[in-house]
Amino acid sequence: MTTPLLEIKNLHASVEGNEILKGVSLTVNEGEVHSIMGPNGSGKSTLACVLAGHEAYEVTEGEMYFMGQDLTELDADQRACAGVFLAFQYPVEIPGVSTKFFLKAAVNAMRKYRGEDELDAMDFLDLVEEKATSVSLKTDLLDRGVNEGFSGGEKKRAEIFQMAMLDPKLCVLDETDSGLDIDALKIVSEGVNKLRSEGRGFLVITHYQRLLDHIVPDFVHVLIDGKIIKSGEKDLALELEAGGYAAFENCESGCCCE
Amino acid sequence: MTTTTFNKTCFEKLHKSEAWMYTNVSLLAKTEFAFEAVLVDESLIREYDIAPANPLIVLVNGKLNESASRLCDGMTINARHQLEGSVLSRGNSEIPTLDCDTVLIENTGEKTIHILQIVSGDCPTAASGRVLIHAGDSEEVSVAETHVCLDDETHLFMPLTEIIADKNAKVTLVRAIRGSKTAYQLGQLHVSQDHSSNVQTHTITLAGKCSRHEVFAYLDGEEIESNFDGMYMLGENQHVDNHLRIEHNKPRCNSREFYKGILDGNAKSVFTGRIFVREGAVETDAMQTNQNIVLSDNANAISRPQLEIYNDDVACTHGATTGEIDEEAKLYLRSRGIPGDSAETLLMYAFLNESLEDLADDEFRRALTDELLSNMPGGDFIRTL
Repeated sequence: MTTPLLEIKNLHASVEGNEILKGVSLTVNEGEVHSIMGPNGSGKSTLACVLAGHEAYEVTEGEMYFMGQDLTELDADQRACAGVFLAFQYPVEIPGVSTKFFLKAAVNAMRKYRGEDELDAMDFLDLVEEKATSVSLKTDLLDRGVNEGFSGGEKKRAEIFQMAMLDPKLCVLDETDSGLDIDALKIVSEGVNKLRSEGRGFLVITHYQRLLDHIVPDFVHVLIDGKIIKSGEKDLALELEAGGYAAFENCESGCCCE
Repeated sequence: MTTTTFNKTCFEKLHKSEAWMYTNVSLLAKTEFAFEAVLVDESLIREYDIAPANPLIVLVNGKLNESASRLCDGMTINARHQLEGSVLSRGNSEIPTLDCDTVLIENTGEKTIHILQIVSGDCPTAASGRVLIHAGDSEEVSVAETHVCLDDETHLFMPLTEIIADKNAKVTLVRAIRGSKTAYQLGQLHVSQDHSSNVQTHTITLAGKCSRHEVFAYLDGEEIESNFDGMYMLGENQHVDNHLRIEHNKPRCNSREFYKGILDGNAKSVFTGRIFVREGAVETDAMQTNQNIVLSDNANAISRPQLEIYNDDVACTHGATTGEIDEEAKLYLRSRGIPGDSAETLLMYAFLNESLEDLADDEFRRALTDELLSNMPGGDFIRTL
């Protein structure tokens, strides 16, 4: 049996002393797309932050392994170098350095981590051109400050562009659909779908089912109050869309969960 | 040989006045200064000659070094009397000036004129240097001044620059303070602007023990654009005091002050921005910003916005921020594989590069970026990108 890409067991996490994740267990294998759905405040984004290594979140109990490696032992930048990518819900704006400049730093840091030579300037620009085209991102945007003055759609496309550039093993998308109109949603989803491959896994965190029309998941998990209370295949998302989260929230007592 | 002396007792009590309350230069009253003209090694001059294709004026201890200069049409030395309408007398600077050569820049054409002012000596040496920039009707002038105190002495440099921008004229002035970290620099900049003129200045402090840059600007015509930007990166016991007074005397003028810096060690920055809007100066739009990043508990940033407004139809905004490196931004960079210390360096560079990006002159921007990275913790990482 191959080692799972991501294995989370009974994960508890707190921020400023408040427990947000209350025992999450989840396994993502290579090539699988998992979706985490849940109402506001259920802990979806916390799960994303904990996976990425946000220091404000403290893991108080449980385990998480990435390709067999204990993630809690790695800092945020080491996790990224190991192959975990988080597409942020709210990407940070950094005026003063361009996306190209910043990504060169990122690409070279990762190559250094893996013991590879730095990419030369021409190869880097070729790669930028290729990946930007794949998410319909105008390359002149990449000469502006990082995310500076980008529209909501441009920011999300830039995240997927960065993901394509950094070629991760596990992609965590934190509410990538928020703030997108239907056209932008399509472009972003197409960008993600192009990256789907046998060796890569996805954790797609979303509030709405509509994203999953475009990025069709293999598995759907419902996260409520810091716990996954139901898991199923893609039809579960449709069930949620029809009945809302309320139907599931009541089942915490155990009415409909096996 | 220059033998001028000056009454330096003026420095004794300056810090007791409101305008100087955060900048104490009383040590200068007790320091014996030489005023000698010295020879500076040509190779040292070349080190700071950052644009060999451009005209250059070199002043050493306030005296023209003609052999090191590349003079061109439009530059005159010691011809101040040719020009009427001094702006100097309108300001109330307490900073003295010493006898020195005066450089007049007028009708120099498109090329950026570089002026390199050096103070050097094997004991504490005091000097001034005067530059007068005059842009006639609809003319454009661009000047880049580099101020360098050499040696590890308590030199005192008191440069004085004046800008006179006639109707529709455009003047760009960059002043960079480079060199040793032991010198005092007390500088004045006086600006007068006529209708529809545009003046942009950048004051970049990367050296010196104690620097004070005074700016007095008089917006005497309508529809004027004035930009006063500044940047600093200081550590140890370095001190910078940017002190501005912008007078809006006519309607519909825009002024913008944008100063930002990073302070490490025991460094201290002071920003005082006085915006004065006269009674008839309606539709004035004045903006003032001072942003600081402090890297140590002992670094200190002081911001003092001062608005003095005598009519109702104005928009004046001011904002000051002082904080540490943004942790959210740092996490964002780390989540892309960039290690923590490199992420901090990248954020510092981004913060200050926002000022440098605005510099039109490529050579100047490159030279200053290079010096900035030498001063910045981990700056070599940026050079690899």
